[in-house]
Amino acid sequence: MITLTHFLVVSVCIFCIGLYAVLAKRNAIMILVGIELMINSAVLNLVAFGRYDKVNYGGQVFALFAIVLAAASVAVGLAIILSVYRKYKTIDPNNITDLRD
Amino acid sequence: MKELLTISPISMSILVVLLPFVAFVIQAILGKKSISGIISLVAILTSTLISGGFVFSAVWNSPPASATYHWFTIGDKTFTIGILLNNLTVLMQFIVCIIALPVHIYSRSYMKGDSGIHRYWMYLSLFCFAMLGLSVSKNLFMLYIFWELVGFASYLLIGFWFTREAAVQANKKAFLVNRIGDLGFLIGIAILFSSFGTLDLVDLFGKDGIFLQGIDKNTGWMTAAGIAFFLGAMAKSAQFPLHVWLPDAMEGPTSVSSLIHAATMVAAGVFLLASVFPLFNETVLLIIAIIGTITAISSAFFALGQYDIKKILAFSTISQLGYMMVGVGIGAWDAAMFHLATHAFFKCLLFLSAGAVIHEMAHLKAHGNQAFDAQDLRNMGGLRHYMPKTFILMAVASLALAGFPLTSGYLSKDAIVITAWEWALHHGGLYLVVPILLVVVSILTAFYISRLIFKAFFGEFRVKDLDPTRLHEAPSSMLIPMLFLGICALFFVFSWNPLSYADAGILKGLAVVYPFPEVHAIHIVVPILLVCGSLIACWVGWRWYAKGRYPLNADNRWVQASLNQGYINQFYQKTFIESTLKLTQLSYWFDLHIVDGLVNLSAKVVRSLSAISSWIDRHIVDGLVNTVAGTIYYIGHLLRWIQNGRLQNYLGFAFTVVLIGIIYLIIR
Amino acid sequence: MGLLSLLIFLPLIATTIILLLPSSLRDSYKYIALGFTIAQFTLAGYMYSQFDAAASGVDTVSGYQFVEHLSWIRMDLGTLGKLEIDYFLGVDGFSLPLLALSAFVMLMAIGASWNITKSLKGYFSLLMILNVAVMGIFCALDFFLFYVFYEVMLLPLYFLIGIWGGARREYAAIKFFIYTLFGSVFMLLVIVGLYFSVTNPLTGAHTFNMLHMMNPANYVENSFFGYINNYNEVFGISARMIGFIVLFFAFAIKVPIVPLHTWLPDAHVEAPTPVSIILAGILLKVGGYGIIRICLSIFPDAAVEANWWLGLIGIISIIYGALNALAQKDLKRLIAYSSVSHMGFVLLGIASLTAEGISGAMFQMISHGFLSAALFFLVGVIYDRVHDRYIYNFRGLTSLMPKYTGYVAIAFFASLGLPGFSAFIGEAFVIIGTFNSESVGTGIPRWMAIAGSLGILLSAAYFLWTLQRMFFGETRLKGGEEWASALVDLNKREQLILFPTLALALLLGVIPSLIFDNLNSSVLNLVALVKQYI
Repeated sequence: MITLTHFLVVSVCIFCIGLYAVLAKRNAIMILVGIELMINSAVLNLVAFGRYDKVNYGGQVFALFAIVLAAASVAVGLAIILSVYRKYKTIDPNNITDLRD
Repeated sequence: MKELLTISPISMSILVVLLPFVAFVIQAILGKKSISGIISLVAILTSTLISGGFVFSAVWNSPPASATYHWFTIGDKTFTIGILLNNLTVLMQFIVCIIALPVHIYSRSYMKGDSGIHRYWMYLSLFCFAMLGLSVSKNLFMLYIFWELVGFASYLLIGFWFTREAAVQANKKAFLVNRIGDLGFLIGIAILFSSFGTLDLVDLFGKDGIFLQGIDKNTGWMTAAGIAFFLGAMAKSAQFPLHVWLPDAMEGPTSVSSLIHAATMVAAGVFLLASVFPLFNETVLLIIAIIGTITAISSAFFALGQYDIKKILAFSTISQLGYMMVGVGIGAWDAAMFHLATHAFFKCLLFLSAGAVIHEMAHLKAHGNQAFDAQDLRNMGGLRHYMPKTFILMAVASLALAGFPLTSGYLSKDAIVITAWEWALHHGGLYLVVPILLVVVSILTAFYISRLIFKAFFGEFRVKDLDPTRLHEAPSSMLIPMLFLGICALFFVFSWNPLSYADAGILKGLAVVYPFPEVHAIHIVVPILLVCGSLIACWVGWRWYAKGRYPLNADNRWVQASLNQGYINQFYQKTFIESTLKLTQLSYWFDLHIVDGLVNLSAKVVRSLSAISSWIDRHIVDGLVNTVAGTIYYIGHLLRWIQNGRLQNYLGFAFTVVLIGIIYLIIR
Repeated sequence: MGLLSLLIFLPLIATTIILLLPSSLRDSYKYIALGFTIAQFTLAGYMYSQFDAAASGVDTVSGYQFVEHLSWIRMDLGTLGKLEIDYFLGVDGFSLPLLALSAFVMLMAIGASWNITKSLKGYFSLLMILNVAVMGIFCALDFFLFYVFYEVMLLPLYFLIGIWGGARREYAAIKFFIYTLFGSVFMLLVIVGLYFSVTNPLTGAHTFNMLHMMNPANYVENSFFGYINNYNEVFGISARMIGFIVLFFAFAIKVPIVPLHTWLPDAHVEAPTPVSIILAGILLKVGGYGIIRICLSIFPDAAVEANWWLGLIGIISIIYGALNALAQKDLKRLIAYSSVSHMGFVLLGIASLTAEGISGAMFQMISHGFLSAALFFLVGVIYDRVHDRYIYNFRGLTSLMPKYTGYVAIAFFASLGLPGFSAFIGEAFVIIGTFNSESVGTGIPRWMAIAGSLGILLSAAYFLWTLQRMFFGETRLKGGEEWASALVDLNKREQLILFPTLALALLLGVIPSLIFDNLNSSVLNLVALVKQYI
């Protein structure tokens, strides 16, 4: 029987992979991918917990909303990466340190 | 004021003292405008006349007269000045006058043409003033003042030719040696003043004075006072071992030597001791006698080897002063004063004669353009052919010095020697050494003075290439004073009996009672002994010097010792002068490096202390402040790397913080 | 305004005038200074002639003359009582001769300043301020006032030495200033201590009045310097003794005593001639005067205990100073050391606590005032001409400068104590008084007198030696012909200054009663005051 816990474990795994990708990848696209993964882990959680809201299906609705939002943010993120690439000729975040003191 | 105007011996004696002073002041004001010396001469002439006519004749063998004037008050003690006229003081004053007068006359010719002659007359008058004042002072303090003033005048006159190095060395030496004596005198005064509260000679030593009232003289302080006064007299009267200044003092003009350093000033020591005689106890008297004897014998020995004619006479003066000291020491201060009087005349004459000889020799030297010492006996010889009168006068004076009968010296020297024998026989034992030595000295005296006469006046003139016929007799203005002194060197001036001093007026006038018995045999034996001894000495002198049979080697140790004055000067130079100078160097080094060094060191210490505190301020106090700031800065610096601009890091941090927060919330 | 105030503050008017006049009139400054100093001297002379010799001075107001007593500072200090500082002036036999001496020496100093060219305005105004201060010191009877004058005196001297001095002037000026200040700072402590120990019997308030300090009855019981049952101790020494010692050292630095004398040769040598004259003629006397007026009068009990040491210091100064003088090759330094030696006699005389000794000491101070001033002036003469004073650079000066040599010889002989000159009377009576001390029972042993007399011998040695080295013999100068033409004999102005000075020294030597008559009753009173504690 697949319980809520299984969903949560899978979700954590996905989140951690996403987090790892965000923190460690040397490529902005891969970071974006990581973010997507983390959003998806959240979506998975929303869906899993949506079981407890059988009246409004708030979980599913919110998951759909998040997927749409993620798609939009990926578009914006890719645009930013593109313009960053145009400016710096790289998309390795380690090389873009304008925020240094 | 009234008593000054009436003709009293007191006011007259004041006049005697003041006249030379007036002459001194006038001469000082006139300076080079007056070079004849007539002012000084008139002053001393008047002084002599007054002294003889109104003072000496009025007071001699009359009751003493004295006058006291208030001088100043210090605290509640009053100091006075005063005139004391008794036989002793008027005799002294008269002697000074009567010697000074011929010397003044003599000087007019002798010093003629000297560029500093105005100073000469000034100094001479100053000396006469001081010496005459000394002779009649009633007060020891006043006596001391004149005592130093004669020393000062003597200093000026010894250094009269101040461009001569030897002269200025000599006058410094004279003044300094005399200063030693002056300190003794001053200490003596201080002892008497603190013991008795008075310095008046009459109050202290007069007939009703403190000392004759019978006080205990044998205390330590009275002995000290006696020795202190004697120290004063030792320096002034050139007693061994303070005699060194007198031979050197011969650097002054010869006329000065005759007046100051032979006849009057050097005898002041004897006069002082005679004035304060009651002060001395047995111990002091013995010391005086011993020192006198040592002086007499040592300087007679030194006189033997001298070549400088004036130095021979200087040592003979010292030797005769030794006689006088012995006279005082044995208690016969009347005999000492008698010898002082006779010695003043014949020694003055000896010097004046020597001066005449030197004068002529110097003229000859100036003529011949030859460099030789005009005072050296070795350059003279045969002078009796050229200066017969001088020779006769000098011979008379020499006979008096040697103590031949018919001269005054015979009387006074016998008086001392005979009394010394009586004194020694009375005491017995080692005391006999004193009269025996005196007899030896007398024989030595005859020898050295005959040496002088024979070397200078007999034989051949010794400087080659010079015409001795240029030498001629001194002018009459020099000869007349000498003649006068020559007459005074004969017996009848002092006593009508040529063979015994018992009738001498001076001895009678002073009338000292001796504490020992008279021995008649001595009065016959001693004169014969002395005369025979002197005759033998003269004969030896004749053979050695006139006949040229000189048996001794000149390099003989004894001859050399005599010539070099027993190396006493060298000894003083080494021990006292050089060590004092070393000491001064040492003390200046000490002052510069230790005393002042300490001051500078403390300044340095303060400065280094301030440097240290400045370092502390800069590095520790201010350092602390800087450390706090620095630490904070460093910590900030450490945290800087967080802000490295890497998005991922930021994210990581944010996540970590959130994680920590969550963990915190969980474990809370 | 009393005569004394006039006497003190006359020079201040001169200072004001000099400061107000424009520099274009700088040639007139010396005449202004001279005029005022002459007026001051005349006034001092007048006061000297008007002085009543019977007045006993020292510890009673009635014994003082020309007294001026005004309240100066009155302040309520609450629990500490009332501050009472007076403007209190007066003279007695001790201060009056010194006052006259100071006026005379000032006159000499102005005369010696005739050729000064460097910033005249400052020079003469400082000189006049100095004049005010020294006059004030000798007149002040209020300790606070005394201290004020005492400190004011230092300031102009510092500048006079430091600006117008020789090559090492800064060093000498600083040394002088700090040395003297070192003494007077501790003096201030004692003054404050005395202030809290003494009350004015009339008002009951604490007072700085010196005369009240001299009276044992005015001391507060259990106060620090109190007379009765005083067990206060500092470093194991009783409080009154420590007060005496501190005051003594303050003044002894001025005298100066060995080993606190080293400021003196430096200051004298570096100072310009007029300042040397003032230093030797007046400043050293401030020390001796202070010891008599303050140490002896306020602490007679301690003085009696300590006088053996005072005497010892006196002799050490005499002999040590003389030995050092003998070693000198610089004429001015020689005279500076001779000052140390001669001032040692002053201390010895004071220590004897006998009438003769103290009178002798006072006389010696006055005589030394004239003679050392003359000696420094004489050194100045030769230094003016060739800017050298090294003894061995000169020889046979007599032939070049006969008058100068005459004056030098007279000054030398006067200084070495030739009878007829004032120094002789001073030194002789110091010796006699010291000798007498044992008879009177004041506890100075006689060997000290004998040792002191050695100083007389040594002084003869260094003066005569100098005379022989510099003045006698064949003329031989280091500077050759150039010097020979520069060394002209004394001019009129120099003779005008020297003649009266040496004439006064002679006059005082012949008629010492000129000083002693006014001095005697004060000395006797002081001796009586001290004698109670023997």
